[in-house]
Amino acid sequence: MSGRLFHSGRIAIVMVGLPARGKTHICVSMARYLSWLGVKTRIFHLGDYRRATVGQGGHVPQDYFYPNASPASVMLRQKILKKCREDIYAWLNHENGQVAIYDAVNPTASGRRALAKEFAKHDVQTLFIESFVDDQEILKENARNVKISSPDFHGMDPDEAAKRYLKRIETKIPVFETMAEEELNYIKMINAGQAFFYNNVSFNYLSHRIVFYLTNLHIKHRTTFFVRAGTATEEDSYKADAPLSAEGEAYAQVMAETLVRHREQERQATIDQGGPDVPLRPLTIWTSTRLRTIQTAEPLRELGYKVRHRSQMSQINPGVCEKLSERAIRSLYPEEVEKHELDPYHHRYPRAESYHDLAVRLEPIILELEREQNDLLIIAHESVLRVLYSYLMHCSTRDIPKLKFPRDEIIEIIPAAYQNEAKRVHIPGLDPKMIPGSPEDIRIPVPPGSEDFGGRQLTPISIPAMIMGSPPSATEVTIGFFGKTGDRKGSVSIGGGDRKGSISVSNNGGLRSVSGSFSGGERPVTEKIVNNTAKEMVEDKVADED
Amino acid sequence: MAPRINGVGIRPEETRICVVMVGLPARGKSYIAQKAQRYLKWLSIPAATFNVGNYRRNDAPHPSADFFDTNNAEGERKRRAAAEAAVVDMMKWFKSGGVVGILDATNSTKERRKWVLDRINQEGIDVIFVESKCDEEELIMANIRDVKTTSPDYQGQDPEQAALDFRNRIRNYEKVYKTINEDGDEDHLTYLKIMNVGRQVIINRIQDYLQSRIVYYLMNLHIRPRSVWLSRHGESMLNLEGRIGGDADLSHRGEEYALKLPGLVRESVGSDRPLTVWTSTLKRTIATARHLPKHYNQLQWKALDELDAGVCDGMTYQEIADMYPEDFQARDEDKYNYRYRGGESYRDVVIRLEPIIMELERSEDILIISHQAVIRCIYAYFMQKTQEESPWVPVPLHTLMKLTTRAYGTEVEIFKAEVKAVSTWRGKGSTAKHEDPIPEGGV
Repeated sequence: MSGRLFHSGRIAIVMVGLPARGKTHICVSMARYLSWLGVKTRIFHLGDYRRATVGQGGHVPQDYFYPNASPASVMLRQKILKKCREDIYAWLNHENGQVAIYDAVNPTASGRRALAKEFAKHDVQTLFIESFVDDQEILKENARNVKISSPDFHGMDPDEAAKRYLKRIETKIPVFETMAEEELNYIKMINAGQAFFYNNVSFNYLSHRIVFYLTNLHIKHRTTFFVRAGTATEEDSYKADAPLSAEGEAYAQVMAETLVRHREQERQATIDQGGPDVPLRPLTIWTSTRLRTIQTAEPLRELGYKVRHRSQMSQINPGVCEKLSERAIRSLYPEEVEKHELDPYHHRYPRAESYHDLAVRLEPIILELEREQNDLLIIAHESVLRVLYSYLMHCSTRDIPKLKFPRDEIIEIIPAAYQNEAKRVHIPGLDPKMIPGSPEDIRIPVPPGSEDFGGRQLTPISIPAMIMGSPPSATEVTIGFFGKTGDRKGSVSIGGGDRKGSISVSNNGGLRSVSGSFSGGERPVTEKIVNNTAKEMVEDKVADED
Repeated sequence: MAPRINGVGIRPEETRICVVMVGLPARGKSYIAQKAQRYLKWLSIPAATFNVGNYRRNDAPHPSADFFDTNNAEGERKRRAAAEAAVVDMMKWFKSGGVVGILDATNSTKERRKWVLDRINQEGIDVIFVESKCDEEELIMANIRDVKTTSPDYQGQDPEQAALDFRNRIRNYEKVYKTINEDGDEDHLTYLKIMNVGRQVIINRIQDYLQSRIVYYLMNLHIRPRSVWLSRHGESMLNLEGRIGGDADLSHRGEEYALKLPGLVRESVGSDRPLTVWTSTLKRTIATARHLPKHYNQLQWKALDELDAGVCDGMTYQEIADMYPEDFQARDEDKYNYRYRGGESYRDVVIRLEPIIMELERSEDILIISHQAVIRCIYAYFMQKTQEESPWVPVPLHTLMKLTTRAYGTEVEIFKAEVKAVSTWRGKGSTAKHEDPIPEGGV
């Protein structure tokens, strides 16, 4: 075994492109997708190293990006590059990293050749991704987004500001050679995905996944809803595939009514706020092929909505753990329990699936989800919702097994450029007995401390709101990690309900973390996962590049 | 009852696509078309190829090279009529439920592409152009030799003469050939351009998921002939008892097979060239692979695990027939779609195997050690077995299969280990026990 996922070796994804070409968006999306797939991924922004070297408020020399820069500038450039690359190697070698995304302009062919050669020396394959834009509209749009918060352009006409900003880039980086190096592996993404050019020297599996993902990546404006299936007659059996119980059927009815009403209310609210009076987007329903999910969709199907059954969306297979109590599992498989506690995301009980197996199985669904034009309702088992939700909301893999989806809530995920937003819609009038987590769920013991989730709990819908630039407090270190090793700037925090800018949550008045087991800060930082702090990065870039 | 519910599988609604091939003769267009069709059908997406050459042959069975000279008005007219006839048939086929139609022709001029695009869009069907562009002389020559000297156009002619004429035909095409968007005025087209067998690829304006799937698949194809080796695990303890599924160890004879496998593999490879071994995550396949040479890379894939028999896991066919008589019969009636209670159907297995197929298409020298149902599905992909046939293909234990893909179809070689094993095959509608497969039953 290669010791790394997908049997691919270590890969450096090297970004190529001038500022305002959407590189950040690509990096962040890719990192989200790869880390969701269980591939250890981290972004290294050269800009962070530049800032760290020249210090706060400092500037690189005028000729920093010039091909004929002064010796002093060349020295500085090399020093910064060296530091960044050393960090990449250290991370790949000593922290078992697999995909390092190296985010920089990389404007010259000679520089790129040298880079690929150097990575090869360290047994790292290089895949270049260039974002090439010559569509003036896209450029202007990107520039507008980037410089939004820059004081330099304060009060200026947005078009004028965008034009100036682009001009400034040109002066600062006078030489940029688009990729045409035949001997290198590269993907050129042209005008934000309108066309792609691949130069394929030796792509491996993972590179191919990346290619496919990029082809499907686009920003869309449709909503995804998640709900649980109703309760079944044989709740504790995976194999039985039992039909809905009477309560389950009643649930399906109420859920359908709530969803239909909610969509209509949202539409009305948009109109009331002066939005256009457009008809609702069509809604498609995806269920698994398990009977109870199919039957939960029945009232909606009767209303005329289209329902599709997807075999990949079956719940996680509990294997030998089926019908066993946690105590029984602990006494029958003590060694497995030990392994499981070390790595609940990847560990697989005999004949069972791990969450990672489930993510791999669900991957085609994710890609199709990226492409879907209609609104989507996904009715599935909690384990499947966990994995899909974690992709859309970019949760840490270690938190996935612990996400909770109570039955009395419809989760609504609204897309946004860098980070999606999740809302909860309450389903009224349900018997409290049916609300908590899945009785049919695998009773796989989870690491101690996470059993305090009884009753109603919240999932980390607060993530998107918390990345708005406030520094994380000491108690919350899970995700995020940018720039230099040890530099915790930009990390996403989970926990703590007093964040400014956090979106309102109607429950329990707070943002209880899914990772509640480690609130209090005693949890060691053992893994860092790249997270989506794109907005903050964009702000940094402005400061850097202007 | 659950098994009946799934029927539409992954078929997307309302998307109909016409894949229009583009490229000079001898660029592997028909090969690509045929592969795409096989892949889509394997995924239960109705697909069909319409080869314009076949229509043209009705009118001009053995044309010489000057038939293809654009100055030959008669030739031009007949070729246009053939394209029209092919499109008309394709439209009929779309109306009867077709989803992906493949128009296999050269379509090598802008004018022809515009005509095709307008004609097909008019019917409300999306068009995606797929061009194979190749200027490696060696590859073209190989193509000319392999395919065209056996083409019906040259039937009964001297091969040397045929090759010469065929090259003149290509030259006539070259005079007017324009690669897609060569002049920069075809940027509005949705297209995939594969250059020099995938060395470089351009994708333009891909619209929806099914298009991106087709494109992704074609990007992964490579045209060199190569082989895939398939074997089931050695006989397991549960095989001995006639029980299905489970996660048992190998029987004594299964162990014997595992010991013999390295020699069998070497014999079939014909050299010491190492293979990459893919097993499932179940004990019996891993144990079967464990004596293979150390320099063979071994990887485990969850997707290669045996079809999940749900509640029937670990039961004998007799027990299943006793406990779930209706299911037992339902499975015989439509084995491909029958999903075990709480388990999987063959269709489900195909869906989960898709990434494996994708990876297989890209790789060379892979030995897969897996399970009966899984091997059947992979075999069905390569041998183009229908959904009625594939679940019944006999795949005996202790046998190594070598599949070699050629331009038009796949060759099978069988290597028997001569280690006795129980039969795990059961005929359709037969009694509930394992039996010996009919000798001429394929494989």
